[in-house]
Parts: sequence; C-alpha cells; structure tokens
Amino acid sequence: MNKPGVFIPAIVLVIGFVYFYWQAALPADPVDGFHFQEFSRLPIIDRGRIKPMDTFARISLMVINDGFQTFKPELSEKEKSELASLKNKSNRSAEENKSLVALTGKEKRQPAVRWLLDVMTSRFSDNHIAERHKVFRIENDQLLGLLGLQPRPGLRYSIEEFAGQMAELEKAGKAADQKENSKRDAFDKSVLQLAHHLQSFMEIAALQTPLVIPAGKGEDWKPFMQAALESRNANQADPNISMNPAVSSFGQMLLSYLKNEPLNFNKALGEYKSLIQKELPVQSEVSNFEVFFNHFSPFYHCIVVYLFVFLISCFAWVTAPATLNKTAFWLCILTLLVHTWALGSRMYIQGRPPVTNLYSSAIFIGWGCVLGCIMLEGIYKNGIGNIVGSITGSLTLLIAQHLSAEGDTLEMMQAVLDTNFWLATHVTCVTLGYTATFVAGFLGIVYVMMGLITNTLTPERDKSLTQMTYGVVCFAMLFSFVGTVLGGIWADQSWGRFWGWDPKENGALLIVIWNAVILHARWGGMAKNRGIALLSIAGNMITGWSWFGTNQLGVGLHAYGFNDQLAWGLTAFWISQLGLIGLGLIPRQYWLSSRAATHNITNLAKLQPKQA
Amino acid sequence: MDNSGHSANHNQVLKSRFSLMGILKALASLQLTVVLFIFSLVLVFAGTLAQVDNPIWTAVSDYFRSFYVFIPNQVFARFCQTFRWVSPTAQWPGSFPFPGGWTIGALLLANLLAAHAIRFKFSSKRIGIISIHAGLILLMLGELITGIFAVEGNMTIEQGGASNYLELKETSGFMGKVNGPELAFSDFSTPKKEKVVVIPNHLLKSGGKVSNPQLPFDIEIIKYMNNSAVEELDPEKNKGLTNLANAGDGLRIRAIEKSEASGTDKDQKIDLPSAYINILDKKTGESKGIYLASIWLSLSTLKPTQSVPLDENNKIEMALRFKRSYKPFSMELLEFKHERYLGTNTPKNFSSKIKLINENSNENRETLISMNNPLRYDGETFYQSGFLPNDKGTILQVVRNPGWIMPYLSCLVVSFGMLIHFGMHLNTFLKQRAISNE
Repeated sequence: MNKPGVFIPAIVLVIGFVYFYWQAALPADPVDGFHFQEFSRLPIIDRGRIKPMDTFARISLMVINDGFQTFKPELSEKEKSELASLKNKSNRSAEENKSLVALTGKEKRQPAVRWLLDVMTSRFSDNHIAERHKVFRIENDQLLGLLGLQPRPGLRYSIEEFAGQMAELEKAGKAADQKENSKRDAFDKSVLQLAHHLQSFMEIAALQTPLVIPAGKGEDWKPFMQAALESRNANQADPNISMNPAVSSFGQMLLSYLKNEPLNFNKALGEYKSLIQKELPVQSEVSNFEVFFNHFSPFYHCIVVYLFVFLISCFAWVTAPATLNKTAFWLCILTLLVHTWALGSRMYIQGRPPVTNLYSSAIFIGWGCVLGCIMLEGIYKNGIGNIVGSITGSLTLLIAQHLSAEGDTLEMMQAVLDTNFWLATHVTCVTLGYTATFVAGFLGIVYVMMGLITNTLTPERDKSLTQMTYGVVCFAMLFSFVGTVLGGIWADQSWGRFWGWDPKENGALLIVIWNAVILHARWGGMAKNRGIALLSIAGNMITGWSWFGTNQLGVGLHAYGFNDQLAWGLTAFWISQLGLIGLGLIPRQYWLSSRAATHNITNLAKLQPKQA
Repeated sequence: MDNSGHSANHNQVLKSRFSLMGILKALASLQLTVVLFIFSLVLVFAGTLAQVDNPIWTAVSDYFRSFYVFIPNQVFARFCQTFRWVSPTAQWPGSFPFPGGWTIGALLLANLLAAHAIRFKFSSKRIGIISIHAGLILLMLGELITGIFAVEGNMTIEQGGASNYLELKETSGFMGKVNGPELAFSDFSTPKKEKVVVIPNHLLKSGGKVSNPQLPFDIEIIKYMNNSAVEELDPEKNKGLTNLANAGDGLRIRAIEKSEASGTDKDQKIDLPSAYINILDKKTGESKGIYLASIWLSLSTLKPTQSVPLDENNKIEMALRFKRSYKPFSMELLEFKHERYLGTNTPKNFSSKIKLINENSNENRETLISMNNPLRYDGETFYQSGFLPNDKGTILQVVRNPGWIMPYLSCLVVSFGMLIHFGMHLNTFLKQRAISNE
C-alpha cells in the first residue's frame, strides 16, 4: 500500500472534520455583558409553532432583508464622531483603546436577536435606533424614486431614510392593493412587499408578535402588549391582584436593554426563563437545540464542502486518480453524514417525516442524490459517483438556500397535510423518484462531457456509465410510480378522488412516463448508450417542470418577486439542458474520446516500425 | 436468422404483412409503445396547461376522457407566458387535432396485450414484467370505471340541522361533462307534497324556449352565464345600466358574467352560474316577468328560492341550484369542530360529529368524520371538505366510485412486479461484477 494513498485522504478528512466542528461551536455569553445567547434560546410561539426567539428574529430579519440573518448596525451620530476622532488619535490611552475596540465591535455584523431587541424597544427609545438600521431591501427603481432614495450597493435602506415619503407609499400601496393580482406590475408588487415588511416591523415594535406570555391552563399564549395591558387593568381594578410575573420580568428585560444595563437584563432574563421552563420543560430542550442548529447552519457548510469534493474529483481526472478519488469519496461521506444529521435534526425539531414543503424537498433530494452516488462510487470506484454526487448535492442545497428566504422552513402543515403516514410514504417516495431521475440526468451529462471534451470515455467507461444510468432509471421508475400511485391513494382517502388530473399530479405522471420511455427505448434497441444518456438529460427538464414549474402555473398565491426569480432559474436550467443534449448530438467522430481512441491506434502504428 | 433462401424469406414477409400475425406483430412493437408514451406525454402536458384557462373538469373532459381533442396553440402561449418568454397578452390562434385519453389508453392496452400474446411466454423470469403490466391494466380500467360511473357531490349540514340529499358537482363523465346545475320549479300548493319540475343543465345552456306540460307557464332563457358574480344594484353606481330583469330578486341584484373558473386558480375552482329567465304565458306567449336565477341566490341560507306568482293565491318557487340526489338516509350534524394552530388562523383539523339515521335498516348511530378520516357508507364515501362561514355548519364531500379499489390493487401488483423485475436485474448485475472482479 502506498503512503499518500492513505495519508492524503486521512488529512483531508481531518481538515473537513475540524471545519465542521469549528463551525458548530456556539460562542459563550460574556460574564458581565448582555446574555444574548441565553435570550435567543427563549421558547416563544409564532405562527402556531413553539420556536426559539433566535429563529423568530432570524426569519423576521431575513424576510425584510431578503436573505441575511445578520445585520450591520447603524451607530448614533455621537458614536460615529467618537469613533472617527479615536481612529485619528495617534497616542491613545488604555481607556480610549478599550472604547475604540468596543465601538469597532459595534460596527460589525450583529446577530438577528440584537435587531429584534432594538425593534422591540423602539417605541420607548428616544434615539430611534431600530429605524436607523439599514435592513429594508428595495430593488425596484420606480419605488426607490418614489421614496426619494438613491440606488446603493446592497439596496438596503432604513425607515428613517424614507419616513418623509410614507404618505406617497401608502397611496401607492392602496392603489396596488385594489388591483387584481394578475394586473399588478413589478412596481405594484414591490410596493406591496415593502408595505408587508413594514407591517411586520410595526407588529414587532408594537409588541403584538410573537406570543411571549404564557397564560393559565387551557388559554392561548399572549403577545406582550396585550398581556401587559390586561395585567395592568386587573391590577388597577383590584390592587390585591399583583402584576403577571412573566409580564414584569419580560418588561424589565426590555427596559434594561434600553437603558444599557446588562446585569439587570440578565437578572430579568433569568426570572423570565425559569417561569417559561416551568410551563414548557420539553420545548425548552428543543428550542435550545434549534438555536444550536440555526447557528451551525449545517446545510450551508455542506454546500462548501461538497464544492471541495467536486474540485478534488475534478483534479482526480488530471492527476493521481486513485488517491484523489479516495479522498473525494471519504470527504463526501463525511459531508453526507453532516447532511444526514441535519436532515434528522429538522425531523426531530418538527416531529415530522423529512419532506414537508418545497424547501425540505430540495434538501431531501440532495441527500438522496449524494447517497445514491456514494453507493455507485462504492461499486464502480471510477470517480463518477463523486462528481455527480457533489454537484447534485451542492446544487440542490443552493436551491434550498434560496427557497429558505421565504420564511420559516419548519412551518405548520395545512390541515389536509397533517398526516405523518402519507408524508412519510407518498411524499418520500415521489421525492426519491425525482432524486433518481436527477441522478440519471447528471450521469447523462457526465457521459456527454466526458466523451466530448475529454479523452476519458473509454469503451469500458462507456459501458459502465450506461449501466449506472440504466440502474438509476429503474430505481427512478419504481419510486416515481409507487410514489405517484400512493399520492392517488392519499387523495382517495382524503377527498375521494384517486386521480384528479391536477397540475402537480400530472407533473409526477410525466416523470413516470418519461422513465418508461427510456426503459422501453432501451429494451426495444431504439436507444443505445448515447441515446440513454441524452434521454436522461431530457428527464432533468421534465423533473424540473414537475418540481417547480407546475407551481408556477398557479400564479397568484405568493406572487411577490420570488416567482420571477424561479421562472428565470428554470428557464436557464432548461436552456442549459437543451444545450447539453445538443452537444450530445454532435456526431461521434468529433468527440475527443473517439478521436483519442483512433489517435492511439495510429500512434501505435507509428511506434511499431521504430521499435523494429 | 436463417439465411436458407432469400425468396422464401421474402415470401414470408409478404405473407406475414397481410396475416393476422403481421398485424399483431406491428401492434406489439416496442416502437409503438414508445410513440404512444410520447403522445401521452404531450397530452398530459397540454391537458395541464389547459387548466390555466379552463376549469379542471373541462380540461379532463376535453383531453383525458375523450377520443380526440383539438389542442389550441394558445395553451403553449400560456406555457411561455408563465416563464415570461412572451408577452402576457400574446394570442396564438389555431389548434391541431390530437388523440384523446381514451384513444391513447386503448392503443396502449392493445399494444400491451399484443406484446404479451406473441412475445412473452409465461416463465418464472417473466413474473415481474407480467405483474407490472397486469397492474397497469387494472389502473387503466380503474380510470375507465371512474370516468363512466363516479359521481361527486356535496352534503351541507347546518349546526343542529340534518340533510338527506347531495348537491351533485359538475364533473367529467365518459364523454363530456355531467351533473351541471339545473333550474328547479317547486309547487308547494298541496301541503306536505312538494311537486318539482326540473329544467336540466344542457337545456339551459342551449337557450331558447322551454315548454313542459307540468309547468303552468313556458320559459325562455334570455341569458345563461356559465360562471358569474352577483352584486347589489346601486342606483348611483349603475346609472345608465339596463337591467335585464324586471321582476323578483333581479330588481335588487344583478349578475355579472365571469370567465370560467380555472383549474389552477386557488380561490375558485368551480363555476357558479346565473341565468335570466323570461316567464311566458302558456296561451298568449306574453311575458309575465324576467327573473334572475342564480346559484348565488340559492346558496344563501335565508331564502334559497324566489316566488313566481301565478295568480292572487298561487305561486311557484324557482331556484337555479346544483343537481340534487336524495338519499334513503339522513345525517344530522351534532357538532362541528374547527381547530386552529396556536395564535394563527391556519386550520389544524376539521371534524364533524354526525348522527346517521336510516329508517329502512333501523340504523341510528353516531360517527365522526374528520380530515383524512372519511366515512364509507352505502357505497358512498363522506369526506370532511369544508365549512359554512363562522363554523355554522359542515360541508361533506360525497363520492360514489365503484372503481375505488382498483388503484389499491394495482399499486400492490405493480410494486411487487417492479421489485421482482428490477431485483432480478440487480442480482444478475452484482453476480457479473463479482465474477469480473475476481
């Protein structure tokens, strides 16, 4: 056994492990500063789900901010000038150095709970710090013009900057609201979106959301403002009734934050927390875990490492294939383990099977693709499984990352979907069918690319790639068929119609038919190796349609900017797949692999006389 | 192949081309299978796109439960518009003929049966393939039975009330749509005995005069709207508007024609029609008033019908309503529950506690219907489907489908077949790998 063959994979594996470990470690709260970490772990109720304050803050901020779960705070005028003068000073005292560090620290990106606390206290603050945070993303030129704003990098603005134009915005909002959805243009949609974001800001500022005050048995939780008013009124009516302890400790917490008194804040936080823990002992556990999960953001780091796996597998084509393929293989397994853990964590937090919405379908498809490809790699050991696995893994997780910008990805299920049995069987099966169809499609892409632009598609590789594709298509056929029929049975169970021919059902049916086309074309000899590869690439297009396209048809439900982005993405995907099929149709004699084969033969012929 | 003689071979080809066997062979070819698959792909795709502009059952009738269809090019324009490739107002005129669901299904069935008749022999190796195909035949037959026999309706029961009839929904039958709304005239003049005369949907749609010996007058359909909205007439707002109606509810309410509900619309999936009806004297043909009849009016629980006076003492009640199907049993709503997720309006579960009374069989029992937990009774299945505003009652979806069991069987048989077939493939493949690795 050669040394680098073990050494390099081991080293890379350790680096990968350290990377994940380092990303997962939670920072601790400072002893004498604000205990923000502890605050972020408080379980609250929002949109029907018990979740930590952290998740609420991140999602509220991300929706307004369009993608970021942190923000760059705005310093007050006083702090700004202080910072500038400190920076310019050449010989600073120890005291001054300390405040410089503190001020530059304040300038850094801050976690979402800081923003949340700023917003929650904004009604009582006189420096209006929450209104100065530049977190509202406004993209539309016309809307920027209306609000008197200049486009700037990032396109993020603070309320203060457009407060003067609020009346104009309201007018435009009313006009847009009265239009039918299909008649709204980009400007109308941006106006409504901004209005919606301002609305959620106001609700938090007015302490009308989330629900933070536990009520007596059998009663719903209440938002702070309502509970505080009720408690005060009861107290005024009858002085013997003392204030609700949760209201006073939560109120004290906000007040101490406003006055910048960390110790009082921490004390009130402790009181409030012990009250909550009595109310929800189990959920506190889950909340703690969810904060850790949010902080780790495992899917993001999986993307990073999958991309590394892809890079290593590409290098493996150029040099040291055995060692580098092994390295990529083991690194891919490590990442898959993290991916699996993350998938399992979501299931633990939500108490549901893996796929419950579009976001989780992307994560699950990615997981299935990587798992399938690792199995293929384990059998064939030719590096193709690594390439396809890392590409599909990172792409699907990237898509998921985009989808998550819509809001809470662990949202509650609509009543008809509230059944773990069907989610576990039908949804999982259909999603595995999508997964396998994608894997087959990407194997097809590898076939075309290897053959056309490299000389590595040897007859043996040609054969084994086709075998792999065929096997995966069989798998896809099985799962998409069973999944689709199970969906029909679910429909029969819940509204008495096995097959309603609605767009989503038809989308799944298209995949089943397409897989049947591939299999029958092969059995009938109509498609050989290359034909199978090209048909599988076309399968990608159909799966793309079923997965995302059918949702587009029902335009109207969430018709904010997001759909346009999806439409654009799907268009680009289809064009790329069509392009690949076009490339695959280039006559075989122009493929580098077949030219290399003939080249080798002529070279051999040339060599022989010399040797003689 | 045997090369014994060219001419003999040629003769065989000639002979087989015209023999039954030759036709069977052509019918059994895998090429035909693939072509038919591609046709069904196009059909399903176009039938999906058609739902952007049409109600789902129109698309199903036109595309899937039909022998042929003229696919309008406009559906592809809709596809391009969805992805912003062409302008949202683009119109692509013209259409092209295409085989419908029944045709493609029948050909696939013939193709499959022919293939099994000549190509496949029963053997243990073929068990997988045979099960898969047998299961598929079951599935296709199931869809055929559903298409011909399935009936869907709603049963609405108010809190504390009872109901013994279904309101049938317009769905797609074997050929074309069935069970559209109808115009009903009820005579309550004899106490306790309601006399009902019904003008069926297709007569309403075709318009013109309708005469029935049971009715004391003739009627003329002035305007029928497949889908409509209603609004209160406002003398200020509707100045200069000529009201078609000159009697009854039409004096205070008007109907506005709407385009048909579409299968992809989230808010409204079914059509709610209205009609302007002229009541004519049977002898003189003189108009006795033009009335507005609308499903919207019959949906209101206050007064679902309106009176058409005959003379000073007699009158007839008129309503445009969903077709009804009366049952030998009745259902009483004991309690309707509507649970929401904490702090939201998102429904978590609906359930209806029902008392089922059937005097014929002396049944009187309580049962609970909830989301994903239907009640199967008397060949029909009752599903929790919706509720009246303010939770004042429940709406049950009722389905009679004699073919409901077929997909369940099919799923079992096909899954079994696929597992066997692909499993055998995998087994041989792994054995080969093991040998080549040694």
